[in-house]
Amino acid sequence: MSIAKSSQADRADYNFAYLDEQTKRMVRRALLKAVAIPGYQVPFGSREMPLARGWGTGGIQITAALLGPTDVLKVIDQGADDTTNAVSIRRFFERVASVKTTTATGDATIIQTRHRIPEQPLQTGQIIVYQVPQPEPLRGLEPREEETRKMHAWAEYGLMQVRLYEEITRYGQAATTYAYPVLVNNRYVMSPTPIPKFDNPKMDMMPALQLFGAGREKRIYAVPPYTSVKSLDFDDHPFTIQQWEKPCALCGSRSSYLDEVVVDDRGGRMFICSDTDYCGGNVTDVASEEASA
Amino acid sequence: MNNQLSAPEKELLRVEDVTRLYGERAGCLDVSLSLWPGEILGIVGESGSGKSTLLRCLAGIDPPTRGHIMFDSGKGLLDIYAVAEPDRRNMMRTAWGIVHQNPRDGLRMAISAGGNLAERLIDRGDRHYGRIREVARDWLQRVEIDPARMDDKPRAFSGGMQQRLQIARVLISEPRLVFMDEPTGGLDVSVQARLLDLLRVLVRDLGIAAIIVTHDLAVARLLTDRLLVMKEGRVVEHGLTDQVLDDPHHPYTQLLTSAVLAA
Amino acid sequence: MTVTIRVEQLTKQFVLHNQGGVALPVFRDLKFEVAAGEMLVLHGRSGVGKSSLLRMLFGNYKPSAGHIFIQHLGEMVDIASTAPRTLLEIRRKSIGFVSQFLRVIPRVTAVDVVRDRMLARGVDARLATERAQVMLERLNLPSRLWKLAPSTFSGGEQQRVNIARSFVDPAPILLLDEPTASLDPANRDVVIQLIHETRQAGHTLVGVFHDQGVREAVATRTLDLTHSDRAAR
Repeated sequence: MSIAKSSQADRADYNFAYLDEQTKRMVRRALLKAVAIPGYQVPFGSREMPLARGWGTGGIQITAALLGPTDVLKVIDQGADDTTNAVSIRRFFERVASVKTTTATGDATIIQTRHRIPEQPLQTGQIIVYQVPQPEPLRGLEPREEETRKMHAWAEYGLMQVRLYEEITRYGQAATTYAYPVLVNNRYVMSPTPIPKFDNPKMDMMPALQLFGAGREKRIYAVPPYTSVKSLDFDDHPFTIQQWEKPCALCGSRSSYLDEVVVDDRGGRMFICSDTDYCGGNVTDVASEEASA
Repeated sequence: MNNQLSAPEKELLRVEDVTRLYGERAGCLDVSLSLWPGEILGIVGESGSGKSTLLRCLAGIDPPTRGHIMFDSGKGLLDIYAVAEPDRRNMMRTAWGIVHQNPRDGLRMAISAGGNLAERLIDRGDRHYGRIREVARDWLQRVEIDPARMDDKPRAFSGGMQQRLQIARVLISEPRLVFMDEPTGGLDVSVQARLLDLLRVLVRDLGIAAIIVTHDLAVARLLTDRLLVMKEGRVVEHGLTDQVLDDPHHPYTQLLTSAVLAA
Repeated sequence: MTVTIRVEQLTKQFVLHNQGGVALPVFRDLKFEVAAGEMLVLHGRSGVGKSSLLRMLFGNYKPSAGHIFIQHLGEMVDIASTAPRTLLEIRRKSIGFVSQFLRVIPRVTAVDVVRDRMLARGVDARLATERAQVMLERLNLPSRLWKLAPSTFSGGEQQRVNIARSFVDPAPILLLDEPTASLDPANRDVVIQLIHETRQAGHTLVGVFHDQGVREAVATRTLDLTHSDRAAR
């Protein structure tokens, strides 16, 4: 996959895809281990990147370790291809790896994401790389790292379920709406990163490979294709996802995750798809149908 | 000829020559004892006599310097410090329970009373919210806490209620053995009496064994079948509770029993 | 007649370690037997060791030497040397102790106190309640008190609750320590009657009675403990 020196002469001072080959090898070893133990957090030697930690350095390192010259990269932030973080990372890889980039979910071989999973179902052969701010789902319940590792090792996840119990007792339902914890392969409880819980069901038995990188926390974890990912719940309070009363104001979709957008100074607002590629595709479809009619 | 008469049941706990040293100082020395299912053993002695140290060793919190503690959680007697840590943790959560003197040590103060009870059921694998609530409500009633207080945090409870909640949290997982460290310690006398009666009834109804550390001989008299008297880390006298209290043989026990009013 | 209690070479002395280690001999090399259907009354002046002997038969006081064989499930078991848990088992099934004092437990009602032993032995709860009430009635305890905790009762009322709980489902061997002390004549006669019935049902009774009238009314045999400590002096 890796070809030592890229053809890009003006970037000859960098190795292909920025990271040196030794580092990529280290990251790949961590990735292999992560794939072998779905949901388990593998420590890795997170490197300094030309981007502040907390801005997706974990995801970037995984992407850099994966990219080959023929890959097609898509980067999204909150579902959008055109936000600052997504644009910066996309440009970064255009420069240091000169790979083709795209905004079309179906065309990408690697999708790096922050806070969303594309609406269009991912396919076999695709890889989705999540940027992870906090990899430890138990952190809020147990501050000691030593203890959380033991809890994972012995699958002591009762306390996690107690938090859910407390939410149902207080609010009548699970109050967690993003980073909603999941049980991977019936073994490890994992943070799905701060994606809305709307996206949780997409992770279950996904044909694509899911990789997670936390740069600041120096952890990598993974969900291999076709792996069970269950959102924690109670038998009589099953997991549910968000729903909206109105469809997307732009494309009319009733099945996608909507963002609330304030449109004027008088409190006017509308709901539109957070996935810009998906929304744009729907709008084009509608337009072409109207044209052919 | 009387050996055949001992009930056919097997020991639940066997303690062999347990010694716990803190540097040069001895916490407890060469303590041996056996406990059978349904039995209530008291450990009495003054502060610093080693009774709490012994309890910590027995309860799996603090490994002894020497000696063995063997517990039968259904698979025969196993040395609790020789089994793998996850097995021991599992035993600590399901096969036995600890009632601490200070309820704060045994409760999660930031989680509702019902949540405190739910945790034990969830640990056991229960995943039905409604049923968990039902069982928790039933237990609150058994320890005489108004089920209307179920969703309140324990920090809003009185000391006696907190202690009763802690006891419910221990008993709800149906342990075979319960350790209690001065369970009525910080409570008013009237609250103590109510709690003692509750413990007596629960322990008998559930047929669980208990080891109770106390310096209160009246508590020992009311709750325990057998008694160990400890002094300077050693067991100086042991026997049936009424035997030890009514006909003490060791000078220290005689001093202890004569120092209280009508135990 | 079946012997149910056999005492051999029984010696008891108290050593008071906190009073200069003074030794108080009570009796030495005591030997006697009691059979089912007997009511053995222990006799002797105050301080001769009647109550101590009774407590030793119950395993409450430990002998300094000797043997106390008690019939338990058809075998004679030496409670001087048996394991504590065997002794507990013997107390549960074979031997009971009746004093004039009730050990009151807060919040437990009179009926519950009386039926407690039956429940522990597996008697049906309704039947146990019924029998408890009949017994309390016999001992003239007003029915309005039945559902109250005896901790609030007078001394005499508590005493009758205690007698009721001991005789409602008596153990094969009953040890009586002044059960009639301070009872009014009517209730004293009820107790005498209960003792007769229990003995005739084949139980073994050993007792200490202060009241000479009661002694004469119940005793089938008397054991005089006077001078039983002599060999020790």
